[in-house]
Order: sequence, then C-alpha cells, then structure tokens
Amino acid sequence: MSLDKSKTHEVVVAVIGNPNVGKSTLFNVLTGEIAHVANWPGVTVARKEGVRDYMGVRIRFVDLPGVYGLSASSLEEVVSREYVVSGEPDLIVVLADSTTPERTLYLPIQLLELTPNVILVFTKVDEMSRLGIHIHFDRLESILGIPVIPTSATQGLGIRDLLNKIVEFAGGRRFRGDAVKLDYSGLEPFIAEVSEILKSSKAVSNYPIRWVAMRLLEGDLRIEELLNSAGESYILREVQRVREAIRRSVGRDPSELFISTRFNYVHSIVREVVVRVERSRGIEASFEKLLQRPITGPLISVLILFTALLAVFSVNTGFPLTTMLSYFGLDELAGFIETYSLNGLLGMMFSLLADLVSENLSSVNPLITSLIADGIVVGVGAVLSFLPLILMMFTFLAVLEDSGIAPRLAISFHNVLSKFGFSGRAIYPLIVSVGCNVPGVLASRTAIEDEERLEVIAATPFIPCQARLVVVMALVTAFFKSPIAQAMAVASIYLVGIAMFLLTGILIRSVAFKKAEPPELILEVPAIHRPNLKVVWWISWDYTKHFLKKAGIIILSLSVIIWLMLNLGPTGFVVDAELSYGGILSRAITPTLTPFDIVGEDAWKVAFALLHGFIAKEAVLESIALLHGGVSVADALQSLGLSTTQAYSLLLFTTLYVPCLATVATIYQEIRNIKVVLAQITYMIVAAYVIALTAYLILKAAGL
Amino acid sequence: MPQPLTSLPKGSKAKIVGIAAGRGLTYRLMQMGLTPGAEVEIVENSSGPLLILVRGVTVALGRGMAGKILAEPT
Repeated sequence: MSLDKSKTHEVVVAVIGNPNVGKSTLFNVLTGEIAHVANWPGVTVARKEGVRDYMGVRIRFVDLPGVYGLSASSLEEVVSREYVVSGEPDLIVVLADSTTPERTLYLPIQLLELTPNVILVFTKVDEMSRLGIHIHFDRLESILGIPVIPTSATQGLGIRDLLNKIVEFAGGRRFRGDAVKLDYSGLEPFIAEVSEILKSSKAVSNYPIRWVAMRLLEGDLRIEELLNSAGESYILREVQRVREAIRRSVGRDPSELFISTRFNYVHSIVREVVVRVERSRGIEASFEKLLQRPITGPLISVLILFTALLAVFSVNTGFPLTTMLSYFGLDELAGFIETYSLNGLLGMMFSLLADLVSENLSSVNPLITSLIADGIVVGVGAVLSFLPLILMMFTFLAVLEDSGIAPRLAISFHNVLSKFGFSGRAIYPLIVSVGCNVPGVLASRTAIEDEERLEVIAATPFIPCQARLVVVMALVTAFFKSPIAQAMAVASIYLVGIAMFLLTGILIRSVAFKKAEPPELILEVPAIHRPNLKVVWWISWDYTKHFLKKAGIIILSLSVIIWLMLNLGPTGFVVDAELSYGGILSRAITPTLTPFDIVGEDAWKVAFALLHGFIAKEAVLESIALLHGGVSVADALQSLGLSTTQAYSLLLFTTLYVPCLATVATIYQEIRNIKVVLAQITYMIVAAYVIALTAYLILKAAGL
Repeated sequence: MPQPLTSLPKGSKAKIVGIAAGRGLTYRLMQMGLTPGAEVEIVENSSGPLLILVRGVTVALGRGMAGKILAEPT
C-alpha cells in the first residue's frame, strides 16, 4: 500500500462497518450527492462510490457492504475482504456504533489484524450521551495506536476531524507500523506451525502470513480455493492435520477459540474505556416495552401499519377517505379530494402535456406526433407517476427503519409468516407493496438467505398496489351498486392478493427449494428513538433516485416498444388500434376469454385492454376509454356490456397478472436472470387466469 | 446444567456454553457476539422469537435457532 507519485493527490478510502452502524448516513455526509452506484463485479451487492475534494486532496470513498466480520462466510464478507486486501484502498475507515461498543468493536479489531492503515470512527455520538454511555476516545486511541474519531453524521460532528486525518495520511503520515497481534495463547504454537508451512506458498502472498494462517485454522473456503487452484493443496492437508491436533489438545473448534479471544480482547478494552450509567429514557423506553410484549406488540404493530397505509392511500388516490365521505353524502368533497390527490393531479398534468404535443405537432407528422404524445409522454408519465408514491413508501419505510420500529414489526409477524415459508422480515416487502410493488421488490434485500429473497421477489407482485387500486375502484364503482358490495369487492381483491403472496412463498420454498424449515430470524433490535428527518430523507431519496435511474430507462424503452405494437400494423402506421400488431395479437388471444363468456364483436377490446395493462394497470382503463372514442371511463366500461360476474373475474385477473413494466424491470435488475423473470411472468399469468376463471365459474354456478 | 435458551425464563441471566447448529449459522451467531462465555439476559421469552441482550445489543432469535444455543444459568 505504498504511495507512488501519481497517487499523492488522490487517496482511496474504503468505508466498512456492521449493518445498522450508520454507514450510509456517514457516507452521505462525506460524499454529498455525488455518489456513484454500481454492483460489485459478478454479484448483486451494491457498490457505492463518492468523491470529496478536501484541502487539495481528492478522496475517493468506496462504501463496502455491511458485515459483522471478515470470515468470508457470506457474499458481503467476501466482497469486503477481497477489496480490503486488493491493494486498491490506501486506507480503511472502520465504523463502530458508540451506543453498542461491546459488539461493534469486533470488526475494527479484525481489520487491524489485517492491516495497520485504519481509522476508527465512532458513529451516533449524539445518541450515546442520551443513553448514558461515555467512551474515553483518547484512551482508546493510545491502546489501538490509530486515530479514533467520534462523529455524528446528523449533526455534522467530527466530519472535519475525519477528513483532516485522511489528508494527513495522504501526506505520508502512518498511524502504526504493523497489524495488531492478539495473543491467542494456546493456539499460538499452531499458528506458528501453519505460518511456517505457508512461507513456501505463492498463492496467498498478498495477504499477511500470520493472518492467512489464522484464517486457514478457522476454516476459510475462499483461501482454501486459492491454494487449491494454485496447486498448493499439500498446504491444505498440512493445515487439516494441525486443525485435528488442536481439536485433540484443546477439545474445541479453532474458529470458536479465535472469535472468543477477539471478543475477550474487545471486552477488556471496553472495560477500560467505556462507562455506562443507568439513565431513564422515559416515554421511548415504555413504548419499546409495549412493542416487545407478546400481545400488545403485534397489536400496536398492526395499528401503526394500518394508520400509515391509510394516510399514504388518502394522499395518493383519495381512497378510502373518498368512499367514507360519499357514504356520508359528501360527494362534492369526495370528488374534490379525488381530483386533487396525487394520482389525479399527475394524470391531469400528463394528459394536458399529451394534448399540447398533439395540438402543436399535428401538422408535422402524425407518426412522430403519436410517438411523442402516446409513446414517450405516456412512458415518462408512467415513470413519474410512480415517483411520489415510491418516495412516500420509502419515506414510510425509512421512518420505520430509523426509529427502530421495523425490526419489532418483523418480530411480531414472524410466527404467522414462518407458517408460509417466510421469516418475519418479509413483512417489509409485504407492506411496502401495498403502496407500490417496485420498492417491495427492492425490500427483498432484507432477507438473510437467498432462497427467502427469491420467494419474496416472486410473491411480492401479487400484492395489489395503488395503481391497481385505481383500476379496482373504477370497475367496482361501475359494476357494483351498493357501497357495501363495493367495499366487499375491494376487500376480497386484497385478500386474494395477500393469500397469493403467502401461498407463493410456501410453494416456492417447499417445491422449488425443497426446504421444510422456515427461514430463521436473526435480527438486531436497536433502541427505539425519534426518527431523524435528515436521515429519513437521505434513505428515501437515495432509493428513489436509484429507481429513477435504473427502472426509468427500461420503462421508457418498453413503453416505446409497446407504442410501436399498438400503432404499427402490416399496413404501416395505423390510427385504428384494431389494425395494429397489438390489435391483431389481441384478436389472437381473445379465445382465452371465451370461458368467461366474453365473446362477440367487443371481446377483442377486453383482450386489448389487458395487453395494454402490461405497461401499467391504469392503462387498462385508458385503453378501454380510448377504444370507445374518448368517452368517460365509466361509460366505456358500461358499453362493453359485461355482467357484474364477468367484471369481477376480470378485475381479479387484472390485479393478479404481472403488476406493471416497472416491477418487471426491477425484478430483472434484482435477479439478472431473464429465464427466471420469464418463468415468473408465466407463473403470474397462469395463476391469475386460473383464479379468475375459478371465481367466474363459482359465481356463475351460484347464479350471481 | 446447560439448557437451551428457549427454556430460560424472562429476566434470567446465563452464560453461553455452546451452539449446536450448522457451521455457517454458528459462525454468524458468534460474529454477532454470541460466543461461548458470553453473558446473555433473556429480555422476552413467550410464543414468538426470543429477545436476548448480549454484549450490549438486543438480538431477536427465531425459536428454532434459540433452541440450539446452550447456556448455563447464572
């Protein structure tokens, strides 16, 4: 890690820490808005980079995934460790949580065993004093021999100190000469023995020898692989012999002894530098207790979710506030709220824009006008109309996360969800999906095991989102007369959606992965505190930006492709949708509607609307209205001549088959396997068809 | 006598003796501070996941896993 001349003005700093340590918050403060997000090569673990110019030095920060250790037992740990030893970072900034030093100092110790070029940063010092914790940072600095910097990202404390230290390092200052050497007492002779053997190895020469020796004794698949592929498997045989010798003489697995020794070392440091005083935390502590109790916990959890969702719903579409108002005879107010809900406003804006384009460009070329007005504007509209919703759902999620309520929700729902092959963590994607499936799919990242992650991705799109609620409301109000029947129809759609979410989970787990046991729950439960608005904004805006960039491009291009399908036919550009490739395709799939008794001249229009709904669910309504020459949606629906039973089964199908392009795009982004994505689309269409048909046949037989 | 964490009552304290789980899971738990010798306090133990306090951090553990952690009451 020497500094050559070309590097004197640029220093690469890796930032590493436990999950929940406050890493993304600090990263945000350090780098501002200029973060660059990509994936680590070959894996879907996100790699974030940001640059900061400070006192003539260009500091390039690289955010490593949240890990507990460097053992290479998970993808994140492999990625982090490989990067640390790659020689690319000049300096490592390792984070410890000042509210939980006993646990979070473990990672810094592990890092110091690997490299001396480390700065230790304590996060959340503002919370520390509130919890009655005092840390002697100076004392710790002299024990470890590296800079120790207390920070609070939300209050901007310590940031300058950190940057100054980095600049000092870039200027050639070294904090300590070599890596930390812990005394593993009984294991030392064995470490020495393996180190001796390793001297002949070439495969692992860029790692410190003592460190490799310890890793091999602990058992490290990645390093074993390195030795094997370099034809040095004789070393592994020797190591195996030494491991056996340890088990015989100490009676324990070496990895247990290594971890215990490190924690004991942490413990001895903490005893010297940390003082805890009991401090009453008042209302927050009482709330925390209530949330943890067996009965009040789940009850309060449900209540929090319900209220929050109701608020988001009302802002977005007006529902269910509008339904309640109409029920009390306040139709005018209800109409007003609906018009000025986010959905209403955005809809108005984009139809105005589309009209404007058609009016001003109509003289130019009908093809280009239509492409811009019906293809691009509609596509951009689709992206943007999701934006407020996604931002709202992420804000909601960020509040739950930052306040410490989120893990408690997971605990409350664990028992129920584990019956369906999920862990309690699956509650986040489930809730978020009620707002929008896109962040729901992204929330699958909270799963610990890959199997559960795929279960969540497969199950999430069944949850009716806000866009589908718009379609549901339109159809339900057009076909059901009494408010009670309307409410029941809406509720049943949600119940079917949630049931499909749960069934998909258990189906994939037991059939595709052949696992009988539900995923385990291991979850850190931080203290409850008032969410910090800045942090909430950072988290939610970060996710939203990510969505805009990634999914936006895909949605836009797919919108254009779909426009082409609907406006191009064998005769070239067509105005009449019936003559387009899309129209022809609709006619081809119309026979699938025959079991629903949807036959005759208008049947293809239903197929056309469903095909259109693939972009976004609102498009189902738009295209029905469009085919009827711009009359109101309600009139257009009526003119299709569907029975209530047909309308209801159609509604079921619409809600369950593939949510929208945005979700499909996001699923692809997450799993990066086109075959799996196609399988999922097929599964959703088949499931939706079977359920809708079953419902239709039952209702028909019941004479409804 | 060492007992699984699930059989310890709420409010009791114990010292971890060993973890009888697969290698990966054991490693994960140990890295979170649940090493042999670590002191734990049972914060909540009813029908749902177990809540324990270990090394200053509250951790929730599914009952299946908590049953694989053996501890000596202190």
